[in-house]
Amino acid sequence: MATREAGKKMIMLKSPDGMEFEVEEAVAMESQTIRKMIEDDCADTAILIPNINSKILSRVIEYCNKHVPTTGATGAAASDTVAPAALAEDLKIWDAEFIKVNRATRFNLIQAASYLNIKGLLDLTSQTTIDTISDNSLEEIRSFLSTKNDYLPEEEQTIRRENQWAFQ
Amino acid sequence: MPTRDPRRGSPPEPFIGVSMEHAEDLLQGHGFGPEMLGVGLDMMRTVVHRSLPKPPVSTAVPLSLAGAAWVPGGADRISALPEQVLQDIISRLPAADAARTSALASRWRPLWRSAPLVVADTHFLPNGRQIALGVGEEESPGLADLVTRVLAAHPGPFRCVHLTRTAMDAHRGEIARWLDVLAAKGVQELAFINRPWPLDIRLPATLFRCAPLTRLFLSAWRLPDTAAVPRSAAFPNLRELGLSLVAMEDRDLAFLLDRSPVLEILTIVAAQGGVRLRLISHSVRCVQLCYSILEDILVVDAPRLERLLQWTWGLGSNSDKCCRVKIGHAPNLRAIGYLQPGEHDLEIGNTAIKAGTKLSTSTLVPSVQNLALELTFQVRNDLKKVHNFLRCFPNIETLHIRSEKARGESTGKVGLKFWLEGSPIACIRQHLKKIIFHDFRGSTNETAFLKFIAENARVLENMVIVVSDWLLSSGVDVRAILKHLTCAKWASGACKFQVFKSILREGERPVYGVRLASEVLPSDPFDKIYYREPLL
Repeated sequence: MATREAGKKMIMLKSPDGMEFEVEEAVAMESQTIRKMIEDDCADTAILIPNINSKILSRVIEYCNKHVPTTGATGAAASDTVAPAALAEDLKIWDAEFIKVNRATRFNLIQAASYLNIKGLLDLTSQTTIDTISDNSLEEIRSFLSTKNDYLPEEEQTIRRENQWAFQ
Repeated sequence: MPTRDPRRGSPPEPFIGVSMEHAEDLLQGHGFGPEMLGVGLDMMRTVVHRSLPKPPVSTAVPLSLAGAAWVPGGADRISALPEQVLQDIISRLPAADAARTSALASRWRPLWRSAPLVVADTHFLPNGRQIALGVGEEESPGLADLVTRVLAAHPGPFRCVHLTRTAMDAHRGEIARWLDVLAAKGVQELAFINRPWPLDIRLPATLFRCAPLTRLFLSAWRLPDTAAVPRSAAFPNLRELGLSLVAMEDRDLAFLLDRSPVLEILTIVAAQGGVRLRLISHSVRCVQLCYSILEDILVVDAPRLERLLQWTWGLGSNSDKCCRVKIGHAPNLRAIGYLQPGEHDLEIGNTAIKAGTKLSTSTLVPSVQNLALELTFQVRNDLKKVHNFLRCFPNIETLHIRSEKARGESTGKVGLKFWLEGSPIACIRQHLKKIIFHDFRGSTNETAFLKFIAENARVLENMVIVVSDWLLSSGVDVRAILKHLTCAKWASGACKFQVFKSILREGERPVYGVRLASEVLPSDPFDKIYYREPLL
């Protein structure tokens, strides 16, 4: 904690639309992609994040700020006292609010989480898609995902036959 | 070696070599009705079930997300996501849902087959039936057939396969073929759980061809006869091994350890027959032995071992023979327990640690910081060993004591003077920072021990006493009992003194979280924090 309060190192992130975000190094390193850049010394000045606009990038930073561990380098002690459990519960509630976004934003967030390699954010953003696919009919899933069925009827029949066990 | 009774319709053996009738007779001899056998077996089943990791995929919608409804607006371009992201989404779906995505659109067609397979057979069952099968419970019809078809349909690799609901006895042909497929398609995490009864089924040796395994959990099997396994067989990637309700020869366990050069976590739960472990491993960090009869635990050469944990039913062992616990080369051992002086013969190096043993530097284990002891405070002979047990671990900072109910008559008063006998106990005087006393029963012997700690532990920061339900419900004034302690002349001025009510009833114990201890490696594996409500 002490190092974060005192002389914490800052990193500049740039979105393609020209916005700059100054974030703590620890927060930026929630992204494994950025972590690797920093560790490989490729991050002297500002890091350009391609394909992620400022609106999405600011939300990603918001997520990382919330999820950056506060236990310091070891992190091990956090797991076995009562307080962190409550903290985890708070985080879940926060996550559930965070993910209440429209489909386009959620898509962009999945894409950003994937590119930046932020496991927690990818899990969170994928989960609504996973929930949609579970326990719904193919027609319902297609409609939710705005996916057009481009199979010929006989093609679809073949595919269903190949994995008949899954359609029972 | 007892063989399985092949007669159909006869009651299963609850333990290998022990018939149901005999088990009921044994229980009756201890004053329990036959219904207690079912209770005991259910308990065992639950413990085994809890020792398994949860499959990485769940059919249950997480509660926190249940309210996260879709906010309308914007077209979903999910199908346009990179293949890797879609594969990741697919591999986090139950297998049937995942396979069905191939029929969504052509973009999705190859994805299920190219994403590593994650399958848990419980996902084929209606929700709420996910606990392992009990005695007499029928297997879901068609389940084994579904498993066969999933394993055949996916080309591999198999990231995670949990088969926990099949009565393997009725599917001996299938299990051999499943293992062939699992080996051929490179399974990485495998939970292969036989329905608990009948118990004595030999696992096919094909298992040893699954070289990519990183985590392996076996339950209710007899291990393959490793004498017949090719000498080159190995698990070069195996990091975690969990064996529950497993019957094994000593050489089979030794073979498994020897052929797992990167194994970090070994867990044995409810072993069939006595456990004799001879640990020689340059990779193992954590050994957990739970609810098993231990005969020999010999840590011969384990340079990375940090935790040696053992947890009992709390019934005590019925055997007259003590378990040998030998610490050889284990320079990184940090936590050990619960040791029971009445039932464990401790050896350090080549020296047996008894009441009068003269200790030297070769009988010290300076790395241990966390020790847990289960003590029967009414049995003076057991307590006599405790001085030397404590002296062997000169750097203990955290001490857990569980007070166990005496099974026989009390054998005398053990006062403060008893604990001051012999040379001073270095760890108590110089290093002990925290003591947690579980299941305080209010006897003068317990209070004397605590007073000894209070008056001698100079750097003690925290004393926690968890008062047993037995004492609380006896109507005794706990405050009066603890007065001896609060009025003592504490060696450390800055010590926090806390008294809690136990939430466990007489005879109950905090559930040993096997998964917790192995997955997050909490800083104190013995502190289960089952006590919350302050008493004083």
